[in-house]
Amino acid sequence: MNQDKIIVGAISGAFGVHGEVRLKSYCADPAAIADYTPLSTESGQVFTSIILTGQVTNALIARVDGISTKEQADALKGQSLFADRSRLPAPEDEEYYHADLIGLSVFDAGGTALGTVKSVQNHGAADLLEVQIPDSSATVFLPFTKAAVPLVDLSSKRIVADPPDGLF
Amino acid sequence: MARSVWKGPFVDAYVLKKAEATRESGRNEVIKIWSRRSTILPQFVGLTFGVYNGKKHIPVNVSEDMIGQKFGEYSPTRTYYGHAADKKAKRK
Repeated sequence: MNQDKIIVGAISGAFGVHGEVRLKSYCADPAAIADYTPLSTESGQVFTSIILTGQVTNALIARVDGISTKEQADALKGQSLFADRSRLPAPEDEEYYHADLIGLSVFDAGGTALGTVKSVQNHGAADLLEVQIPDSSATVFLPFTKAAVPLVDLSSKRIVADPPDGLF
Repeated sequence: MARSVWKGPFVDAYVLKKAEATRESGRNEVIKIWSRRSTILPQFVGLTFGVYNGKKHIPVNVSEDMIGQKFGEYSPTRTYYGHAADKKAKRK
């Protein structure tokens, strides 16, 4: 999968005998997965419409175009679903998609490389960028604030950080 | 059972000392603490604490709505990596 595709969910199996599937959504709002169609699988299969018909524990029930029997639904079990990055709505001011932040290089004000963004976490206080230190397995959490991260440049894929003392 | 009100909130003394020293110095630094049991007090608002989770210090920017909670609540001891999907982060 290329960079323009974002994983938004997976098919966890068939539901019933009429061709419905159990859908696992990774979206912040699980039902939003239906808004990001067309969705594609790793094997290249494309689903142009997904209609949510219900939900069970840890899964949504959906009717997917082109799938009308239980056998067809069973064959899709375990398939990840990818959406085009362009299908996601534009974020608000000072908001960034995790998918856009992950992989960005982090530099300090002097231009020294501090690492790359491995993940974005939120433990209840504020968003934190998990920065992978170069040539090390260690990671450091950097508060995602204007003070600690004065510049996010998505076009050049770099972040300029001014971390508090004692962090790196 | 809840803690008796007459005792007041519990805070380890060294946390108070470190917070006071950092506030007086005016430096932008992470205050490393190991006391996950300490209560977040109003005088901690605006400071950044590095709360130990058993492996490393997780930065916690204290805001007003965190007053009365414990530091440990903001420094999970287990790691979970979900999928990024359409999740967003807001720079404050």
